[in-house]
Amino acid sequence: MGPSAESVLEVRDLVKHFPLTQGIVFQRQVGAVKAVDGVSFDLHKGETLGVVGESGCGKSTLAKLLMVLERPTAGQVKFKGQDIYSLKGKAFKAMRRNIQIVFQDPYSSLNPRMTVGDIVGEPFDIHPEVAPRKDRRRKVQELLEVVGLSPEHINRYPHQFSGGQRQRIGIARGLALRPEVIICDEPVSALDVSVQAQVINLFESLQSEFDLSYMFIAHDLSVVRHISDRVAVMYLGKIVEIGDESQIYGAPSHPYTQALLSAVPIPDPAQRASKAQIVLQGDVPSPANPPSGCRFRTRCWKVQDICSSEEPLLTIRPGISHPSACHFAEQTQIVETLTPEDVALPPAAATQDGLTQDLA
Amino acid sequence: MTLLDTSKPGSPEPWGTPLLDVDNLHVEFRTRDGIARAVNGVSYSLREGETLAVLGESGSGKSVTAQAIMGILDTPPGYVTQGAVRFRGEDLLAMSESQRRGYRGTNIAMIFQDALSSLNPVFSVGWQIAEMFRVHKGMGKKAAMAKAVELMELVNIPAARERVRDYPHQFSGGMRQRIMIAMAIALDPDVLIADEPTTALDVTVQAQIMQLLKELQRERNMGLILITHDLGVVADVADRIAVMYAGRIVESADVHDIYARPAHPYTEGLLASIPRVDMKGQELSAIKGLPPNLMSVPPGCPFNPRCPYVQDICREKEPQPPYQVDASHTSACHFWKEVRDGSFR
Repeated sequence: MGPSAESVLEVRDLVKHFPLTQGIVFQRQVGAVKAVDGVSFDLHKGETLGVVGESGCGKSTLAKLLMVLERPTAGQVKFKGQDIYSLKGKAFKAMRRNIQIVFQDPYSSLNPRMTVGDIVGEPFDIHPEVAPRKDRRRKVQELLEVVGLSPEHINRYPHQFSGGQRQRIGIARGLALRPEVIICDEPVSALDVSVQAQVINLFESLQSEFDLSYMFIAHDLSVVRHISDRVAVMYLGKIVEIGDESQIYGAPSHPYTQALLSAVPIPDPAQRASKAQIVLQGDVPSPANPPSGCRFRTRCWKVQDICSSEEPLLTIRPGISHPSACHFAEQTQIVETLTPEDVALPPAAATQDGLTQDLA
Repeated sequence: MTLLDTSKPGSPEPWGTPLLDVDNLHVEFRTRDGIARAVNGVSYSLREGETLAVLGESGSGKSVTAQAIMGILDTPPGYVTQGAVRFRGEDLLAMSESQRRGYRGTNIAMIFQDALSSLNPVFSVGWQIAEMFRVHKGMGKKAAMAKAVELMELVNIPAARERVRDYPHQFSGGMRQRIMIAMAIALDPDVLIADEPTTALDVTVQAQIMQLLKELQRERNMGLILITHDLGVVADVADRIAVMYAGRIVESADVHDIYARPAHPYTEGLLASIPRVDMKGQELSAIKGLPPNLMSVPPGCPFNPRCPYVQDICREKEPQPPYQVDASHTSACHFWKEVRDGSFR
């Protein structure tokens, strides 16, 4: 993914404030939850951009803004050069076909009263031009096959499926309109470990098959590293660091990224002694009243006077290969990057892709 | 970390009786649709100061085992049908409810996953912590409240004196979990059971809570049973691991041994299926299929439909009791030798 890569989504200074009001009849605004507060990035064609951050940092609000489920307070998002918030009517509907979403919870994101066929085929009702009516059943069956479900299951209901299979149904629905961008909002965090790997592998194979761009939102840094080409780290509504997967994981420069990485437990007891852990004190401050200057300064161990008076911009700083929003950014290796050969991991069942095989 | 040898039930202990000994425990849930056998002959034991991690996916019976130990199983539908839970040699399951109550909290305490739903929303957190002292120790309100403040300080809740009268919803997730920990350690228990204590928390807060648990355990020489599905957390803190599948312990061993040389295909598959933050480009080899329905566990080895190495014997004969790999390592696989050597690959 070089710099010449074509941008599918261009996000510029995106802001979403949710007003806090007081009073019942005469409501007046007393403040705002600054959920997303000036976020800019590009999503290139065919790449996966991972977005990591703790709960409440604005990841999901960002997803909703890109889906136009929420309208922003300020800023713009361009899909292939078109501002998606200024589109209306037919053009808006056509644009929406191209950005689809897969939700976190496969239990609540599927209507229990609809059959799998209806769920996966519903996008065709809204965009009938994609598939003529008589073609739909076949299309839905094709989609089910693509995500590793049996086409005969078209008349079943969601409760007849396991969590991993339900997530596949959600993915099939997201794929139905052949979108260019899929926003994955924590798509594997509700799944069990052994099933999680099956779904991650599915996401990867679909990407190469359909030339998809993913925005992959997750709080699990190991999963994000596995699937992403580039990674953005969010904290309190802002991106604090963005770069290639190897830059973020191999040479993180923002103290928050460093703390986040050091907190991820490594599934190898042999590394227990060698691993230095940065344990952050306290919790994430309220987004309704974020700290002045740098938002991370209340939990940062590098804090100086300048951090409370001047907000650090997300730019490339001297000696650092990628944009970082810290006055005192410094590249440090936190986790050693190993190759599979370094670790005697048992390549169990390496021949199984786990794709089509979880059919009961 | 000392290497502790496992205690096979019934075998003579090298030193003293274990703190907690679960012996051949069976739990079933009698439902309208049939009987779900959630726990099928689980045995493990715990010593002072030791951390035993019980690892398993949802539905593997790890939490039900803990509930049976604590005596908080919902009956009906859950019933303990067989087995014993011995605390310092005394069988808890044979006791009357009022006797057991004396053990709960004072000797064995438990922390739950979801701190918000485990705390009572209409009482202040101080009142709830102090309740431990009022009920079990017969302390007065004032003295108990002072103790509650002490405990909140111990678990590093800032401004404990001011916050003792706050209600659960006024605390963040990490702080609520600290309050749960304060309640659990209030009466200085010998055994602490932590059921997915960090699953609902962010990774930076998870690190804080695990550090706190480790410190408290070291100070008080508590035995800790850590129930989790997170292989990373386990690698960081456990001394010994018991891997559960379909209500059975399929492998148990010292933590270093199990990660380096697993002797059960399920453990091996789990280790190969997790992405690691310190690795890029590794191929995730998923375990095919799904965990079995507990109402109709397949005959033979319960893992056989998903096992990459399955042989005829696996479909006929269940590998129970587990094979002894070495003094501190058991595996419920007919072919543990081949799995451990890697000669199947």
